[in-house]
Amino acid sequence: MDTVTNDEQMVERALSGDPEAFGEIVRRWERRIFALAYGMLGREEDARDATQETFLAAFRNLRGFRGDAKVSSWLHRIAVNQCITRQRRAKVRGETALEDEAEKNAAVFALPVDVSPARSAEAIERSQAVRKAVLALPQDLRQVVVMKEFEELTFQQIAEALEIPLSTVKSRLYTALRQLQMRLQKFGDGEAA
Amino acid sequence: MRDSRERPVCHRAEDLVTYLYGEGSEADALDFGSHLEQCDACRIEFSVFNQVHDSIQVWRTEALGVSLNPVEVANQTAADSRQFVRQRRLSAMAALRQFFNVSPIWLRGATAFAALLLCVLGIVMVARISRKPVTIAKVTDEKTYTQKELEAAVNQAVDRTREELTANRNAAGSSNIPKQEPRPPVNHTQVATSPRKAPRQHSLNREERAQLAADLRLTLPVDEDEILLALPEQDIPHQ
Repeated sequence: MDTVTNDEQMVERALSGDPEAFGEIVRRWERRIFALAYGMLGREEDARDATQETFLAAFRNLRGFRGDAKVSSWLHRIAVNQCITRQRRAKVRGETALEDEAEKNAAVFALPVDVSPARSAEAIERSQAVRKAVLALPQDLRQVVVMKEFEELTFQQIAEALEIPLSTVKSRLYTALRQLQMRLQKFGDGEAA
Repeated sequence: MRDSRERPVCHRAEDLVTYLYGEGSEADALDFGSHLEQCDACRIEFSVFNQVHDSIQVWRTEALGVSLNPVEVANQTAADSRQFVRQRRLSAMAALRQFFNVSPIWLRGATAFAALLLCVLGIVMVARISRKPVTIAKVTDEKTYTQKELEAAVNQAVDRTREELTANRNAAGSSNIPKQEPRPPVNHTQVATSPRKAPRQHSLNREERAQLAADLRLTLPVDEDEILLALPEQDIPHQ
């Protein structure tokens, strides 16, 4: 990304002891990393924690940053790893049912007030179905679909961030979309029944 | 949505994804567009994938409530960067403040004193520059005299004048005028200044001396302590 001071220069400044430089990197990327974490984890609280941990890990490993890679790719890799680690921990603790209920309630409050109760209920149901469908995808497929749909990254950027070939990105995305369609169809069938 | 398991799969699946997200070139888009018109499998999948994409977008907008459109994000990032540069430029004052915060008390005091001294010096300089130029005493070629030199010069002039008057009187009618006794020597401490008062043989007071000096075109002493008078060059006695 061409900016007045690009991300790579910012990292150099941070490495040379400029305390504001890393703060600037955080400001630039926090929204995108949060979006990625939200798509991967499905909960706002978890997404915030994962975003925080991502930047913390990035700061700790600043010296490990390779100059030949882009800062964005590097941050995305860290974020994806943070999300995977977090999900593993959550699985071990068995955190699912209670969280789903809390997230559903949060979605009700987030809806606009002029939406009719029937419509809002349908919208919530639909959002919940999409969320569940995305979260049910295998990790490798979910990463790609979230990066594409939530962050609107290009195939090339996704390939660089995940260090996989461009054709793999496309094939994974295709598979992910097919699986999502199947899951959402199940939801539609259940609703119709 | 149609069951994907029942749908035929086209070998151009990757091209379909590229076309769906609009990432191919214009030629690629035209090529796949024409393929889409002929291939039922791709046409159906394109429609289904579009619905999935829309559903995810609805969820994303509900969840995040903000756009992460790359163009907007790039603009925002550029604005942030400019702001960062501006902050860095303006942070000189902040750096100075930080320096004061971390420096010891004696250093703060010394800096404050130095600043105060600088201010005072500045004020003094400005005052000196803005003041009217002082008239410096005019230096002339006229010679200046002390009290003693002045008195000696006056006495000498008085004697000379008296001698001239005497000589004139003698020349006018020396036979009618009785011969005078020789005059006692002049006491130079009691200066006789006026030739008209000379016959009365009493010493001149200060005013009379001043008058005489004026008559003889000598400058009057203004103060007794600093008697610096000028005399014509020809009247200067050589002592």
